[in-house]
Amino acid sequence: MRLWLVIGLLFATTSAFADVSVVASVDRNHIAFGESVTMTISVQGTQSGAQPSIPRVDGLSFEGPSTQSSFSLNNGQMSQSISFVYQATPARTGEFTIPAIAVNVGGRSYSTEPIRLVVEKSTVQNDSNQALFAQIRVLSKQLYLGQTEPVQVVLFSRSDVPLKGVGGFNCEADGLGFKFLQNLKTGARVINGESFNLQVIEGSISPSLTGTLNLGPCVLKAQLAVRKQGRSGWPFEDSMFDQMLGRVEVREVPVTVDAVPIEVLPLPEGGRPVDFAGAIGQWNLGVTAKPTDITVGDPITVTIKVSGNGNIDTVPMPKFGPLDAFKTYDPTTKTTKDDLNTTGERVMQQVLIAKSTDVRELPEVRLAYFDPEDRAYKTAVQSPIKLVVKAGTGGRTTIVSGGGRLRPDEKLGQDIVYLKGDLGTAAPAVPFCGTATFWALNVTPVLALLGTVGWKRRTDRLRGDVAYARRTRAAKKARKLLTSATSYDEIQHALQHYLGDRLNIPVGGITANIVDEQLVPRGVNGELADRARACFEACDTARFAGGGADTSVQATRDNVERLINELETKRL
Amino acid sequence: MNWKRNGFKIGAFIWLVGLRVVFAGPGEDFKSANQLYDTGKFTEAAAVYERIEPKTAHVYYNLGNAHFREGKLGSAILDYERARRLAPRDPDILANLKFAEQRLGVDDVNAPPRAWQKLLRSVIESRTSTEWEVYELLALWLTALAVGACLYIPRLRTGLLAIAAVAFVGFAVSVFALGREVLNDRTTPAAVVVTAETDARFAPVPDSTTHFKLTEGTRVVIREDRGQWLFVERADGQQGWVKSDTIERITPHS
Repeated sequence: MRLWLVIGLLFATTSAFADVSVVASVDRNHIAFGESVTMTISVQGTQSGAQPSIPRVDGLSFEGPSTQSSFSLNNGQMSQSISFVYQATPARTGEFTIPAIAVNVGGRSYSTEPIRLVVEKSTVQNDSNQALFAQIRVLSKQLYLGQTEPVQVVLFSRSDVPLKGVGGFNCEADGLGFKFLQNLKTGARVINGESFNLQVIEGSISPSLTGTLNLGPCVLKAQLAVRKQGRSGWPFEDSMFDQMLGRVEVREVPVTVDAVPIEVLPLPEGGRPVDFAGAIGQWNLGVTAKPTDITVGDPITVTIKVSGNGNIDTVPMPKFGPLDAFKTYDPTTKTTKDDLNTTGERVMQQVLIAKSTDVRELPEVRLAYFDPEDRAYKTAVQSPIKLVVKAGTGGRTTIVSGGGRLRPDEKLGQDIVYLKGDLGTAAPAVPFCGTATFWALNVTPVLALLGTVGWKRRTDRLRGDVAYARRTRAAKKARKLLTSATSYDEIQHALQHYLGDRLNIPVGGITANIVDEQLVPRGVNGELADRARACFEACDTARFAGGGADTSVQATRDNVERLINELETKRL
Repeated sequence: MNWKRNGFKIGAFIWLVGLRVVFAGPGEDFKSANQLYDTGKFTEAAAVYERIEPKTAHVYYNLGNAHFREGKLGSAILDYERARRLAPRDPDILANLKFAEQRLGVDDVNAPPRAWQKLLRSVIESRTSTEWEVYELLALWLTALAVGACLYIPRLRTGLLAIAAVAFVGFAVSVFALGREVLNDRTTPAAVVVTAETDARFAPVPDSTTHFKLTEGTRVVIREDRGQWLFVERADGQQGWVKSDTIERITPHS
């Protein structure tokens, strides 16, 4: 029984392959530009057909496939099929022919019939009575080859049109290098007294062919909120109530814009600079160099900045004047530009090393470009930058390679730099750090500073503190008076001056009593106090008794000097 | 008077002749080594560069080139490092050192892992120790002079104090850099792996477990010296024991 079933199935399968047919069809043969068509390749009599290969059709793109299979048994007759469904979207208006498509089934190849498809311009624009229309905005309809020009495709929707957004955008622009941003800008505008909402698609074109090229037609798929069937009146009504009840659906309506002819001119031959290398736009050139006061062998970093309007990718490295006097390193480049490549900035850094002290300036930097607005070639020039190049000091840090030797070609990053030609300067055999001279040079300023501070403080105190000044100078002054003293009167005067200055009291009234009144309370006791009294008494006796021998004056003067010396050692 | 003038001339002549005698040898060796290099005899050139004393930055640089051409890239990095210590801002030395490190793939390994460490190292290594010594002395003297002058010229007090503050910061930076260079050289000297590959082990014995591998040209610092074994640390902080004949100190061992 089981064997018969298997044989039956095999027979059915074999007979099924025998009745296979392949048919390709589209849901519509006439569509408006901006719409898609559904193409179905149906394989009848089997469910095992291989996915067909869709041939390339110029101006038509295919998405898919999605597969659908079916199987049915009716009155003993088995029927089965598999379908491959594609979405075909035209990129232009006109007539298309989808050629025969081969499908392999069970090792045999089957072929479909060609399909004719006509794509016409959409008429929706007129139907909406200008409530919904679009425009292409181009500043100039005459461009140069390679020029980058911003464009805008603007969808206008009257304020009563329930526009939800733009579901898709397609534009014919062969040879114009059209690109656009996915994010739309919005705005509003009043036209003939009516308010319109604007959906702006920003883009740019950069023609790669000369001649008259068309920008467009373009199709925008406007998404409109439409009330579902069963309601009368203007279909583009929308209310929160309808939305809540689910009576509103979003329908895509294609809005077509007519093509705008763009005349693309070749770059003029006349006046083209020799060093022109394809830069088109309006460009500014800035050059800086750091440092400019250098020693031979020191690197100079030259920063060249080119910025402006146009396609920065067309801007080459600006040309230096002769660089024979410099050793050059490979430049680094950093480029920034906007999404549409209509403005940009390129910063190039080049390291140069002056070979000799004869170098006086960096050569000028030039950038030749074509300005499409002025329709003329221009050259941005950066004047030479002055340099001060000094000879090496002979120190270890200033090293210039070569030393007059010819160096083979070198490429940094690919090979090592060549040999040094001279021996250079030897480092000191003994490190300076740690030597006695090094430490002496370190300690000297510290000590000098401490001495200066101390001296300053002392002079300030002498100037401002009378007691301190008198006390400090007391002994010196008294000794000076004693040196010239030839009488008891002068000796006593010197002693009075010393004690007056030392104790910061008036000199006039000082007698022998000062010993008990001032010295003893300050700790001067015993023999020293007695000697002080004796000095005063000796002077008084001699003065009032009348004269005295020279030897006695000398002895008294010596006693007073010893007394002063000893009192100097005491803190009073 | 004439005697003094003549004496000075004679002294200067003797000094110059002495210099000529002293430097004649190295200069000739240097030229002959360069000629050997130019004829492709890199090993012979390296041998001649090796015997030149005292070694200048240019000698180490050319020796590094000779080792590079011999295929001894680890030794070349060692020589470039030695040259860089004597002439830290020479673009040729820096370019060749970087190129050799890139060739061996150790440029990332040799760089300190953190940005501030890189900055610190680049600042310290941008000057020779002699330059740091000069900066330190100049900054110290300037600080002392500015503070001293400030005491006696009160109307310039603000400006002088500002000068003193800047000079003191310079002094502190110089002392720090000098301390790092001198102390590091004495306590934790830097070295370079000169063999193709060496094992950094957990213990200073031959059969101990390998902690990680050090490739040729890797820069390390020596934390401990036990004769045949050295305890080293890589720039990323990994530590291990290696055999002393696999690495060479950047500052030649005295």
